[in-house]
Amino acid sequence: MAAAGVNIPTNRRGTKARPSRRARAHSLTPYLFVAPAVLVLGVVFAYAVVRLLEQSISSPGLMGETEYGLQNFSAVLSDPLFHSAVLNNLRLFLAVPVLTVIAVLLAALLFERVRGWRFYSSVIFVPYVLAVTVVGIIFSYILQRHGLLNQVLSSLHLSSLTRDWLGDSGLAIWSIWAVVVWQQLGFGVVLFLARLSSIDVTLYEAATLDRAGWWQIFRHITVPHLAPVIEFFVTISLINMLSWIFNYVYVMTGGGPVRSTYVLELLIYQTAFRDGLPNLAAALSVVVLAFAVVLLSVQSVLRHRIERMEG
Amino acid sequence: MTGSDQPTLGRSGPTFDRRQLLGAGALALGLVSVPGLLTACGGGGGTGGAPAAGGEVLAWYWGEQEAAGMKGFFEDAVKKYNQAGRDKAGNVRAVLQESDTLYTAFRTAAEAKKGPDVQFFWGGTQALEDVWMGHVAPLDDLMPKAWMDKVNKDARRETFWNGKQWGLPFYEINTAWAYNKKMFERAGLDPKNPPASWDDFIAALTALKKSGVVPLGAGFKDAYLGGWLISYFGAQGFDSIDDAIAPFRGDVEYSGEKYVGWLDRIKELIDRGFFNDDVLSLDLYQGQQLFESQKVAITNSVQPQIVGFQRKLGVDTVGAMLSPAWGPGKLARFFPGGSQVLTVTSFSPRKGRAAQFLQYLHEPAVMKAMYDACGAIAPDTRFDPAWLNTEVDKQMAELKLTLPTIWYQYYYPFPFERDGVTPGVQQLFQPQGSVKTAVDMMQQSIKKWNREQPAQVKAYKQWQLLG
Repeated sequence: MAAAGVNIPTNRRGTKARPSRRARAHSLTPYLFVAPAVLVLGVVFAYAVVRLLEQSISSPGLMGETEYGLQNFSAVLSDPLFHSAVLNNLRLFLAVPVLTVIAVLLAALLFERVRGWRFYSSVIFVPYVLAVTVVGIIFSYILQRHGLLNQVLSSLHLSSLTRDWLGDSGLAIWSIWAVVVWQQLGFGVVLFLARLSSIDVTLYEAATLDRAGWWQIFRHITVPHLAPVIEFFVTISLINMLSWIFNYVYVMTGGGPVRSTYVLELLIYQTAFRDGLPNLAAALSVVVLAFAVVLLSVQSVLRHRIERMEG
Repeated sequence: MTGSDQPTLGRSGPTFDRRQLLGAGALALGLVSVPGLLTACGGGGGTGGAPAAGGEVLAWYWGEQEAAGMKGFFEDAVKKYNQAGRDKAGNVRAVLQESDTLYTAFRTAAEAKKGPDVQFFWGGTQALEDVWMGHVAPLDDLMPKAWMDKVNKDARRETFWNGKQWGLPFYEINTAWAYNKKMFERAGLDPKNPPASWDDFIAALTALKKSGVVPLGAGFKDAYLGGWLISYFGAQGFDSIDDAIAPFRGDVEYSGEKYVGWLDRIKELIDRGFFNDDVLSLDLYQGQQLFESQKVAITNSVQPQIVGFQRKLGVDTVGAMLSPAWGPGKLARFFPGGSQVLTVTSFSPRKGRAAQFLQYLHEPAVMKAMYDACGAIAPDTRFDPAWLNTEVDKQMAELKLTLPTIWYQYYYPFPFERDGVTPGVQQLFQPQGSVKTAVDMMQQSIKKWNREQPAQVKAYKQWQLLG
């Protein structure tokens, strides 16, 4: 295959002449440039994935023997804890539309340059820069049975609303959900504000001259221009909810109470490192990898559709 | 040194032809290979007259976390061992491990067959799992039987499998309930005679609650409490330790009063409101701190921790009591203790030397030094009870002599606790919690273990207890 821009000469009979050694060397140049990156990706990613697949289909036998088969997948897929973890990941997915809607609305409001908007945007962004571990530990204290939240509710004569936010198996995952939304909101707001700042102001001026209201401007100008960023944010957030939620759960509940807050990542970690079952953990990882690939494929399809609509 | 023939760094230095380079390479390769060849010749055992492999014996240990002062003791013991030249072939080097990485770091090393010669494990099945993985060498060929017989039999039983001894019991980890004598007194109870039967226990907790204190303090957020509660109450229906392992060998079902009767007792404690209401919000240590801050009357604890409570709050305030008996079995009144173990790794080229170091740790002077440094008691008949210097230690030693010893957690496979005991007991603390659900979770966990870890199940079924 010749690289773009390399002229291949023809001989007298009109057929393509064999390229000169220099031309052939030149055609290899782009591959040489990308070779280090391919090599690094190959070692870091491809090798790891191949090893993961190999590990997922092998099991340690007695006294160091190895057995091969699909028994790890069978065990994982029939485990109620796996189903519970998947369900919790899906529950956390519900945070994504909530996050997106609130972030877009807040960004649109702040873009109106309301008094003190810079301060507000900083306040909204601060939680995002805090380490997840720190946030998790602080909230695990705030949400205790005798924690700050319940103390505040009691002092407001709202004792009937106090709960064991992290100790109640029906509430714990939603408490984590709320903390995730609180922390991740800032990222969405700043992302959308940045995009809004680059929209041509004449569009807004024209709409205002045409006596368009705030909602009409928001719906017909702001949202369409934010579409690619919204798509990016939604995809990133979904992947986060699948493979980045570990820290919150590990620090705040450890998967309990009654295993009600397990997510796939935590299950993989505990299976591999607490229970010492790396092969089962590898099978779980392959399942998560498949989920992530599906998500990225959906995002790719959506991107093409949006590009076609814009084009 | 200067001179025209002196090799120098850089391109201006002397040049070598291919033959010289090949010769130098062969020499270097030969030199590098010598230690490896010597190691190979040394064999795996180091006993039976085979030359001992050189290099240092690497020991990965743990214990500072539950017996403060262990690190100082271990380092000092190693230093004295090295200085005395007890091992002619080389020194010992000890590295303290973290709780979180104790098993993961070792298993990674074991997979690569490069790592410690001596490895610490928590006792019973938590050590046998690595035996079944092929990471541990049996001690029978490395230590004389007469010597091994001096180590307490109860402790040895926990890591005796397939007719061989795999772990050398290192120190006892005895547990009890710490109770506040002054709170007992205020509630009209006799602080010198804590409740020993279930009915007395319920009566005492009722009196404590009536006096305005929270009777039981505990934390269950980090999941460890389940293992404690089953070990305190779950073996009381058994007549022998063999009963403890029977459901996991597949001999009997984990059901009926004998096996699950303890759950009714835990449920009773919960329903009567004897526990602190934030059990599921607190970690194990936070729950125990409620006792230290005198917010609760009783908490689950280990022997060195109760000694610490006594030092802080006074001997006249803190007492230790065993679990009250509810069960119909011969083990209804038992001593709740187990032992942490040290092992020799299967991949060690210095097994004989590693075993020699382990034997050194059981010499009377070394066992006494360990007790003095961190309060850890070696489970060994050569440990002189006269060395004990705290009331709690003396009380526990006396109880241990008169009661059968079992720490149930060290006899069941860990997945049973992870998937059955912990979530099962945690759900008892939920408003809708039921014993039936807990039993179901435990039975399911045994089925899951059979399904997911057939190799481990097969190994477990070969477990014949040391008689």
